[in-house]
Amino acid sequence: MSRVPEALGRACVLLVLLAHSALAQAIPYQRPVDTAPQANSIGGGYKVPPVQKPLPRDYWLQVVDAVALSAAMGVSVWLVLKRRSRKWLTALTIGSLAYFGFYREGCICPIGSLQNVVVALADPKYSIPMLVTATFVLPLVVALYFGRAFCGGVCALGAIQELVVLKPVQVPRRLDRALGLLKYVYLGLAILFAVKPALTRDFLICRFDPFVGFFRRNGAPHMLILGGGFLVLGMFVGRPYCRYLCPYGGLLAWCTRLARRGVTVTPNKELDCGLCAEACPYGAIEKMRAVRRNCLYCARCYASCPCDGELAHAKAGLVDLPGAAS
Amino acid sequence: MSEDLTRRGFARGTVLAVLAGGAAFLVKKANGQVVWQVNAARCINSRLGEVGVEACNLCTTECVVALSAVRAVNEYAKCGRCNICPAYFNITSAVNELGQPSEKLCPRDAIARKPIGKVDPEDPANNFYEYIIDEEKCDGCGKCVMKCKEPLGLGSITLRIRYDKCVNCNRCSIARACPQNALLQLPVGQAL
Repeated sequence: MSRVPEALGRACVLLVLLAHSALAQAIPYQRPVDTAPQANSIGGGYKVPPVQKPLPRDYWLQVVDAVALSAAMGVSVWLVLKRRSRKWLTALTIGSLAYFGFYREGCICPIGSLQNVVVALADPKYSIPMLVTATFVLPLVVALYFGRAFCGGVCALGAIQELVVLKPVQVPRRLDRALGLLKYVYLGLAILFAVKPALTRDFLICRFDPFVGFFRRNGAPHMLILGGGFLVLGMFVGRPYCRYLCPYGGLLAWCTRLARRGVTVTPNKELDCGLCAEACPYGAIEKMRAVRRNCLYCARCYASCPCDGELAHAKAGLVDLPGAAS
Repeated sequence: MSEDLTRRGFARGTVLAVLAGGAAFLVKKANGQVVWQVNAARCINSRLGEVGVEACNLCTTECVVALSAVRAVNEYAKCGRCNICPAYFNITSAVNELGQPSEKLCPRDAIARKPIGKVDPEDPANNFYEYIIDEEKCDGCGKCVMKCKEPLGLGSITLRIRYDKCVNCNRCSIARACPQNALLQLPVGQAL
């Protein structure tokens, strides 16, 4: 019996609260402007100072970002496939980390843009800026021709992990494959949360981006700890986020299956030393062949090859030394 | 081998066509950039009728940008230029020998007080003072916004987003936390 009045009381409290908030919402925001002294009533040549109105980044600067993204991918393809230079690729990696990471504070990135594309496809009212579409499509098109050039030396999240690879261990093939499936689960979850109605929609990839806190020098403590954890793990397991979690990496891997060109390792009957397979921290060389969908364009295989790349050039230089001939 | 290559080429062409079609569809429905904005009529710090409440500082604590992309902005044309500004001074603190409250309200000392014209020491109440907020120091805690409204203030200070600092997150983390639902996304033309 006592339940009914209690429930009624609660309903009343709720109603009052609702009415209160509705009233508060209904009060229009207006200021009694007339009572403020104006320049002419103050006199003495007083001028009202201008109100600061910082504008968002200019549109043409955003176009510059998209152009920089394309250019960086082009340079990445050229450095890895043509020059086969690990040294210059590292320079590009540092440059991309500085620009797309620390200067642009990790926004906008193709990884996150996949959610905007999904939302725009699902919600007819959602407006997606053209540059976000471009950011999403460009790396995929490059992957269709040359493989994951975006991952090597361009992606800021990849770059920060690339630079901490210290003493990578080879992850057992089966474990590597199993963990690699996680990124498709993450992709599915990200799509699932993005297609929800506008108010409950969430952008998981952006929210749980482990490195963006470093780029912005600000972030929730748990995300900074997670990012630090990924970096420490990344010293021993090469680029763990890229290989096991990055949802966009999953899309790039699909496109890379159709690639016209990519990093290739040519087996040599006389010299099957396997140094390249040992040098690859990402387990992307199987049976002396580069697996393009796993290849992250770091050019370590070329750098370690005694027949090619910097090692071979260094050797050639040694032979040319005048003292060495005698 | 060659059959495999042509098959791959065909598949690549198909994927390219799908990507191009999708991109064209998205570009066609694109209608410009959107930015986040604080609705002053909803924000508990600035809306009228909220008196004697502690200022909400979620804009400071929740923003992903260092110091927060939300800052207090004084609309100078609407400022009362008071002698004892309730947003500049902590008006509950003890009065000092100058007849002013001894403490300032802003925890980061981001507001500067500057007399306009000649100061008449005989009649301090009739002097005008300019209150300029240093937006580089301000972290948008909202304390001054809460005080600059009735009964003493004119409501010239509101919280606004500095668009040069805001990274325009897909889902603004302040908007997610705001109990008043005061942050909204608007086309850039309407927001500025």
